[in-house]
Amino acid sequence: MSGDVRLRREFIATALLLVLLALVPLVTRDVYWLGVLVVSAYFAILASSWNLLAGFTGQFSLAPAAFAMIGAYGAALSAAYYNVPPIVGLIIGTGVAGLIGLVLGRIVMRLRGPYLALTTLSFAEIARLVASNSINITRGDLGLPLEPWFNDRVIWFYVFFGALTFVICGLYLLLRSKAGLFLEAIRDDEIAAARSGVRIVFWKTAAFAISSAAAGFAGALYAYFASLVTPELGLVQQTGLVVSMTVIGGMGSLIGPVVGAFLVYVTSEWLRDVGGWQLVIFAALVIMFARLFRTGLWGLVTTALAPRRRAAGRPA
Amino acid sequence: MSPLLSVQGVTKRFGGLVAVADVSFDIAPGELVGLIGPNGSGKTTLLNIMSGHLSGDQGRILLDGEPCSGLKPQGLARRGLMRMFQLTRIFPRMNVLDNLLVGGRALGLAADEAKTRANALLEELQIAHVGHLDAGQLSGGQMKLLEFGCCFMRTPRLALLDEPFAAIHPTMKEIMSRFIRARHAEGQTFVLVSHDMPVIVELCPRSICMNAGRVLSDGATSQVLAAPAVIEAYLGGAAA
Repeated sequence: MSGDVRLRREFIATALLLVLLALVPLVTRDVYWLGVLVVSAYFAILASSWNLLAGFTGQFSLAPAAFAMIGAYGAALSAAYYNVPPIVGLIIGTGVAGLIGLVLGRIVMRLRGPYLALTTLSFAEIARLVASNSINITRGDLGLPLEPWFNDRVIWFYVFFGALTFVICGLYLLLRSKAGLFLEAIRDDEIAAARSGVRIVFWKTAAFAISSAAAGFAGALYAYFASLVTPELGLVQQTGLVVSMTVIGGMGSLIGPVVGAFLVYVTSEWLRDVGGWQLVIFAALVIMFARLFRTGLWGLVTTALAPRRRAAGRPA
Repeated sequence: MSPLLSVQGVTKRFGGLVAVADVSFDIAPGELVGLIGPNGSGKTTLLNIMSGHLSGDQGRILLDGEPCSGLKPQGLARRGLMRMFQLTRIFPRMNVLDNLLVGGRALGLAADEAKTRANALLEELQIAHVGHLDAGQLSGGQMKLLEFGCCFMRTPRLALLDEPFAAIHPTMKEIMSRFIRARHAEGQTFVLVSHDMPVIVELCPRSICMNAGRVLSDGATSQVLAAPAVIEAYLGGAAA
């Protein structure tokens, strides 16, 4: 199947899923469950941004939550100290995360596998500890409060779905351009990509910066939703959740991280009653998918549909 | 005629091992040169230096009279130097057509132009029927053909082909040979590394034989293959 066709199919499936989810407020206006879906959409943006880096470019960063935290602090600090309106705070949070991502991307550009993972993990911990210990500026673990942007949970629901749609459309346009071709080539074989004339340094750095900016955008939006920014946003457990969602949904596909984020977060809320066991269940699921279904849920769906396409005489 | 590529006193050491020792030769535009020698003679190391994958310790390489030592592979690809690897390097999770499009788009072809070129190459290399498959699903020979095709998405000024005929079916070998012959007739320049002597004799008017990092012989292929030093390098001192 052509890469273009595959991507278009994933984009259409993602759009259908988002349209279906957007109908939820017509069924229920339960504040709790709308809140769960808002947080799921936040994780879907984070997982999609991480997937650009890990799934499409082959760079296994462990800093998506740190960039969300940086975006959140970018928005919260500019609101607290300069009283900027939320839309400006959102732009500042996104921009700061993108800029730091650009610098970190240049630093880690030649690292791979465990070395890249360790370096980005160290960066994430440094960023979190700086936020936590800069008490005079960030109020440390007490958190930085923000004036809420909206008070209606339904409005927040549609704001987050609009943001998720914006990110998915942006990623789709990026991936169907020649940039997508180059990023996937770098993921598959960096030496072959260089031989073909692909500017490795430029595209790897660009992917890092775009991914970081998207994570920062999610974090900045979440800051206004939660009305409080704490260093906990950057906890490595949050990154673990993002990785699990992407792996379970299907790494390297446009729709996988979105499916994974909603499935994992909504299910974890359902499993809240079983206490700590929910983590055990998710850990077991990640092990199972990593071992048996490396293409994730989306891979299972496409495999299940493939025989029907063959029977209909179309190429699989 | 001024050389297209000039290798001047190139030396490369790995610790105490001298892999390439003071190697010099010129490649004129339109030449098809065989680079031969026993295993470990330094052919691939020299190719790695020529294509920017390794930097030499001494000497320099000129492309079109301009120094190109220190340029990265992508920079050299943009200047028209394409490299095929001994161990196949493709993009296994991308489909065959996209594998070709990467090079076309990176080297400045528009999307439609790249697609047309890629489809023509797939036809010529007789792998159009697997164009929709992921490259990782191809047979070893088809992968070789695909990588070979990747080098020609834009007509290279110089194609460095490292063992393109190794471990592939004779039919595929013939497809590649025909392709090289046709492009050479049009004035394309090649350096061909191979252990397949009949193919070298058939395709390459000139050959360079290396042994222990040095150039043993450089000239017409028939003369190089008849040189006592070359026979000794291939068959050992007792046979010579």
